[in-house]
This record gives sequence, structure tokens and C-alpha cells, in this order.
Amino acid sequence: MNALKSEWLKLVSVRTTWGLLGAMVLIEGLAAGLVTGLGDIEDLRRGNVATFIIGTHLATVFMFTLGALLSTNEFRHGTANSTYVVTPKRERVVLAKLAVGLAVGVVGALLYIAVNAGLGLSILSSRGVVVDADTAVNGYVGVGVGLVLGCLFGVALGSLLRNQVLTIIVGLVLFLLAGTVALFIGSDVGRYFPGEALLALQNTPSVDLLSQTDGGLVLAAYCVVLGIAGMIFTRQREIT
Amino acid sequence: MAEITVQRLTKRYGETLAVDDLSFTVQAGRVTGFLGPNGSGKSTTMRALLGLVRPTSGRALIMGRPFAELSDPVRAVGAALDAHDVHPGRSGRAHLRTIAAAAGLPTSRVDEVLDMVELTPARDRRVKGYSMGMRQRLALAAALLGDPKILMLDEPANGLDPQGMRWLRDILVRLAGEGRAVLISSHVLSEVEQTVDSVVVIGAGRLVMQGSLAELVKGDRRPALVRSPRAAELRELLEDAGASVASDGRRDSMHVHNASLEEIGTLAADHGIPIFELTHEVTTLEDRFLELTGEGGNVR
Ligand SMILES: Nc1ncnc2c1ncn2[C@@H]1O[C@H](COP(=O)(O)OP(=O)(O)OP(=O)(O)O)[C@@H](O)[C@H]1O
Ligand SMILES: [Mg+2]
Repeated sequence: MNALKSEWLKLVSVRTTWGLLGAMVLIEGLAAGLVTGLGDIEDLRRGNVATFIIGTHLATVFMFTLGALLSTNEFRHGTANSTYVVTPKRERVVLAKLAVGLAVGVVGALLYIAVNAGLGLSILSSRGVVVDADTAVNGYVGVGVGLVLGCLFGVALGSLLRNQVLTIIVGLVLFLLAGTVALFIGSDVGRYFPGEALLALQNTPSVDLLSQTDGGLVLAAYCVVLGIAGMIFTRQREIT
Repeated sequence: MAEITVQRLTKRYGETLAVDDLSFTVQAGRVTGFLGPNGSGKSTTMRALLGLVRPTSGRALIMGRPFAELSDPVRAVGAALDAHDVHPGRSGRAHLRTIAAAAGLPTSRVDEVLDMVELTPARDRRVKGYSMGMRQRLALAAALLGDPKILMLDEPANGLDPQGMRWLRDILVRLAGEGRAVLISSHVLSEVEQTVDSVVVIGAGRLVMQGSLAELVKGDRRPALVRSPRAAELRELLEDAGASVASDGRRDSMHVHNASLEEIGTLAADHGIPIFELTHEVTTLEDRFLELTGEGGNVR
């Protein structure tokens, strides 16, 4: 419980947290507003533009970065020393970071949904485009869960790699590049890469991807495995 | 029981022996200086005591136990390893609150320690804008949070001006007076010589000496300056007796190691050699320290 409170305070006491969340809201608002406001009315009506996933990938990268900072800031700024002196049961710290990552992930997801729905959906309805409730709920659940998992992925990967720049680069490569490359060269394995699992979870229209549920499960599995590995690693390795 | 016990501690990083079969103890109620040149293994020893690095062999114990086995680490040990270990974007107070929360301490305690280190006026400013002295104070405040039995400070005087130094001295002496064990490291003896009661001196990861500050200065190993008209003759006698003698270029005087003034005087009298001058050479504590740890070239 103590570790949890500490990790929460660490999160909310740096401006980067608010900067990343604010930037996400801003970009999402801009993207959703522009696409629904200026998009071709016929395209929108036919559902060719998947309104719920506008800017999703970028938003997920933001949440991933937020999670990664939660873990790697300790080593970047040397606070790992006092953190692990005060809490020598180190796995508790990692667990608390994952919990806080989950919490801020949910906050990010709610913000995203609020902005996207508040702006995008209302512009659409003002233009006479009707979106049925099932599609909307399904879309937002996928996007929301994706944002939460993206944040957890960052926390877990960061606890394993420790180095801030490395973690963010590896994350970007995994999310944006690796699966695409694998899919491009025709490998079936590419579908199981984190980035491709995320796309599936977030309803990206594509034949190459897993189902939405499977995508979510694969991404969640990555988080669980990386999280446990991060806990074991943090217990075993020295703090230097 | 000693508050801190280091027992045959060895820590190896690849080829580097950071700490080499080191043993010493630290007692409560006094300030112990942990002295050694750069790279001699002070920080590594402290990190081993705090359970951050794992000894290659040997033990580093707090109140007889490895750090990880302490039932209440926060009240046992307060540590400040590096004044730079702060997120620059947090305020001093926010930084301390994250630590206090992890330790299960109330925010009121944060404000208490901020007061103790006289940082209250700057507490809501971001650490980015703190001077080195302010960072040192903040690090000390963090170490004091749990009202610990043992204080372990790595180079706390680093970057302090003379005023800050005096302030630190007063607060450390007071804390030790309350029955705490205070261990402070430094690579400059003069920085802490007025603060410490006892010293642990290391060089190249090995123990050079442990004792009181008085023992460190004690003349036993200080060379004697001897002036005699029959210096050459006396020199032979001294060397036969096991002393080592260095000439200083003048015909009638020499520097004698490994012999007390009493021994030299008696030997000269036994052979009827007149002595014009027999005295300890003036060495400063700093000279003594350099002599013990070996001058320079300690970067490994
Ligand atoms: N994590 C590490 N990896 C490799 N070598 C290390 C590591 N930490 C310390 N060393 C080496 O161990 C030796 C002792 O370092 P340490 O930091 O303990 O010395 P120190 O006495 O604290 O020095 P200083 O006065 O400069 O702070 C040095 O040679 C250093 O290079
Ligand atoms: Mg050091």
C-alpha cells in the first residue's frame, strides 16, 4: 500500500505526466475534429473512416511512453537508490508501478474516449451521420483497453531495460515497425507482434490481423510476461 | 554489538576489485569518517551495506543482519548516496513525500525534516533550481525521514561552502550525540577532520587503518628529523636497528622512519653521538592521509 501511494505521488508530481496526457488530448481532439468535420460525408456515412480509431496509434504511443517513464525515471535520475533502500522487497515496487500504470492508463483511456466521443461523434451527428451504438461501444472498448495495455507494456518493458532512451526506442520499434515488417515479408508470426496485436484490438480494418479479442489477449499476455520478468529481474539485479 | 559490521567484504566488477577483503565496524554515538581516495571503494561498500549491490564474498551487516532482513529498514538506516539522485522536475517537498509515502511516514514528518535542514523556504521550488548545497541538504533530509538509528552519508560535504560545512558538522555531531551511528565518507580528510571521532581509512578497496582520529595523527609513524654532527655514523646504527633513513641532502640531518624519538635518542646516547635536533617532522593530517592511502594514481 505504501509503495502504491509513493508511486502515485511520483507520477503526479512531475509535469511530464500532465504534458503527455494533455498532448494526447490535444492531438486526439484535433484529429477527431478534423476528420469528422472535413471528411467526405459519403465516406463517413459508409463507415469507410473508422471514426473511433482516429489518432489511436499515436495516443497509445503516448501512454506507452508514460508507462516507460514510470519505470525508467528511477534509473535516469538515480531515485532508484532511495526507492529500493526504503522498499527492499523490490518486487513490490514493480507491482506498485504496474498498478499505477493501470490507473493512469484508465485515466488516459477515459480522456481519449471523452474527447473522441464528445467531439467526433457530435460533429458526425450534426452532419447527419448515424453511428450505431454497438459499433461505438465495441470501438471504444478496443481503443480503451489498448491504451491501458500500452501503458502497462511501457511500465513492464521499462522495469526490464531500465534505460529510458533504449526502452522508448525498443517500444517504438515493437509497436510501429517489427510486426509491419514481419507481415510485409509474409510471415504469419507478424500478427502476434505487439503492434499488430494492438491494431487488431483497436479494430483497424485489415485482413492480416488477429480478431479483436485475440489481439487483446496477445497484448495482455505480453504485459503479464514482461511484468513478471521485470519483477524477477529487479529482485535479482543490482541497483547501480 | 556494532551498528555496522563489514566482514571480509569483497566486491568484484569484472577485472576491477572495487572492495578487497575489507573489514571494519562502526559504533553508535559517534561520527565515523570513511576515508579513501577516489575509486577506493567507499560508495561500493555503502551500497553493499544498503543491499543495493551483492557482495562477491564476505558480509555487510546492519545491526548484525543483512539489510534485506531488517524488519524496519527505514527506522534502522537513513542513507544519502548522491545529492544528484532527485528528479529535477519535482519540488524538494514532493521528492521527500514520495520517499515518506513509501516508508509509511506522514507528510508532517516531511515538513519536520525540511525544517531541520533549513530548506523550508525553498521546499516548493523545483529541485532543478537548487544549488549543490541545497541538494545536499535535501539528501540529508531524506536520510533523516525515518529518524534512523544509523546515518550513512556518501560525501555529504561535497560542494558545501565553509558555512555549509560548519552547519553540517554541527548537525552531524548533534545527531551522533543523540546516540546514532553516523558514517560519512570523504576523499578529503580536511573536509571532515573536525567532524569525525573515528576513522576508517581505505585505499584500493583494502583497509588501511581503523581507529580514532587521534590514532590517525599519532606520531608513531611520522618520520623523525634528526640533526647530528656524526649523522653518517648514526645512520648506520639506526639502519642496523631496523629503521629506514632518508637523507635530505644536508650532511648533518636525516629523516628516520620506523623508530621513535626515544629509540633514536637512546641509541645515540649509547654511542656517545651528540644530537643537535631530534623532533617529529611537521606533517599535516592531509599528509598523513596521503601517506596512508598512497598518493594519486588510485583510479582503477
Ligand atoms: N557498477 C560498477 N561497475 C563497474 N565498476 C564499478 C561499478 N561501481 C564501482 N566500480 C569501480 O569500483 C571502484 C570503486 O568505486 P567506488 O565508487 O566504490 O569508489 P569511491 O571510493 O566511492 O570513489 P569516489 O571518491 O570517487 O566516490 C572503482 O574503480 C569503480 O570504477
Ligand atoms: Mg563514491
